[in-house]
Amino acid sequence: MEAYGVEKLEGLYGVQWQFLAAARTRAEEQLGQLDTVCSSVIPPDTSLVVFGSLARKEFTEASDVDWTLLVDGITIPEHSTVARQLEDKLKELHLAPPGQTGTFGNIAASHNLIHFIGGEDDTNANTTRRSLLLLEAKPIGDSAAFNRVRNNILKRFLEEDLGLWRKSTKVKIPHFLLNDFARYWRTMTVDFADKQHDRFHEGFALRSIKLRFSRKLMYISGLLACLRCQLNFPDVEARLEFFSRDNSVAVIDLVRSFLDREPLDTVADALQLYVEKPSAIQAIFEAYDGFLGILSNADKRARLKTLTPKDFESDPVYKEARELSHVFSQAIGEIFLVADNPVGELTIRYGVF
Amino acid sequence: MSVLGYSTGAIALGDFSRAIALLSRYTFSAIELSALRMTEVAPLIEALPTLDLSRYSYISFHAPSAFVVEEEEPLIELLRALPEQWPIVLHPDAIHNPASWESLAGRLAIENMDRRKGTGRSAAELKDFFAILPDAKMCLDLGHARQVDSSMVGAYQLLTTFSDRIVQLHISEVDTFNRHDLISSAAELAFSQVRKFIPSHAAIVLESRVKESEILSEAEKVWRILNVEDDAEFRESFFAKAS
Repeated sequence: MEAYGVEKLEGLYGVQWQFLAAARTRAEEQLGQLDTVCSSVIPPDTSLVVFGSLARKEFTEASDVDWTLLVDGITIPEHSTVARQLEDKLKELHLAPPGQTGTFGNIAASHNLIHFIGGEDDTNANTTRRSLLLLEAKPIGDSAAFNRVRNNILKRFLEEDLGLWRKSTKVKIPHFLLNDFARYWRTMTVDFADKQHDRFHEGFALRSIKLRFSRKLMYISGLLACLRCQLNFPDVEARLEFFSRDNSVAVIDLVRSFLDREPLDTVADALQLYVEKPSAIQAIFEAYDGFLGILSNADKRARLKTLTPKDFESDPVYKEARELSHVFSQAIGEIFLVADNPVGELTIRYGVF
Repeated sequence: MSVLGYSTGAIALGDFSRAIALLSRYTFSAIELSALRMTEVAPLIEALPTLDLSRYSYISFHAPSAFVVEEEEPLIELLRALPEQWPIVLHPDAIHNPASWESLAGRLAIENMDRRKGTGRSAAELKDFFAILPDAKMCLDLGHARQVDSSMVGAYQLLTTFSDRIVQLHISEVDTFNRHDLISSAAELAFSQVRKFIPSHAAIVLESRVKESEILSEAEKVWRILNVEDDAEFRESFFAKAS
């Protein structure tokens, strides 16, 4: 099945989303630079993993770099020394450090990410790291630990989803995985309110716009990766044969392949393949391009970051961003919340409850 | 499963004569003659005319896992003297000058590496080697593949990407210290998850370091891993002790 991606979508519609392209180019340059500077520091059985806009390839000049040293093997005290060395190297590159929450900029152990899914041990930080590892993460340097941990997380989600393997279940949606993506999306929205409580207006406007765009898109890409388990197999017999226990590694590999792509490409691929609504699809990417245009503009970004509540309703930049978010949301609704296309049908049936 | 047997290095490391003697007590159809160090190559090749290998329908030769650049050409000349139908198992990271191996490429079985190595571990990394030596075949080491990616997705990718190149499998546990050990129950479970993707023509070569008393039981374990239906009669003929 031919994949499309954002660039191919541009060709199809005869458009050019300049801010998307610029952000992608900037991200690729930055990833290359990080590879050059950091790869030699990373010890065996670990991977330096970056998250956020850099991993999504939506990198703008003022973007920060969220990172973690992922350990999947023998743990040694020197790992914390390596983490500090990586921090120093990122400072030398004049990259904005991770945010205040403490979820990034340190060490993460694979044990918790793989074994603590749900339940009391699955903390907010653990859920965040795990979800982002699947949805928006890139390894720098040796990717072996990164790939291994991601595959094992997916293995848990998919192999333990009993319905996925039953012959009597004709519709194949990985509910365990989908529910965790949905939970993470809702966690982000609640955390947004929590940050407002803690930090009052500090950064509210910028966080709000990011929630409406990049956080929502990240969830949508995860949702589509799950729905594609069903959509990729129109023939029932072929679907049931594929989703059989002795084929589980192939299933894991398939879902991994969907999640390997950046969220924008995952969404572009899926919508182009399964939704015949070019206007809505184009509107999604047009609005997102506008969003990145705002983030790429240093003045506009700074304005959003420092906006106070009394100016929310009148500020032209915030108004511009909100209007773009309404277009984005409207277009998403036309596809995902209407049962006149396969994606909408499956979202309504399996994505709500 | 086509044929099954052991690497001599698993039976008696560095002592091929003893290994062959021990294995002669069983009816395995495959054997890998192992010369993992440069110093072992010439003696093993010189001894070949004296070895009774007539019981084996599949024989391969494991080249040294490392050699210095000055040893590469002499090694290639030594290996050239081996019977042409014997696959030569070679570690990709050992190669200094790929062009020197081109004349032997069709006889090589490039092996996927363990996680100590910086390359040659995954399908993506091995593609580069096969681009340089397109005629080479492959020895797929399931233990290495599991060590690199314990989910077995990596093994699945290797099996499906190179299915037409695979002539041999290595199978064993590979522990944290990169030693080839008896297959654990966790490894049994993991290996069984990819059994349907193993090419039926591939020879199965055990690399588990075994005591003499464990030779048969470890082989039977591998049989269980790789076969869904247990044909007791066929299995017994596979593993019967030679009279």
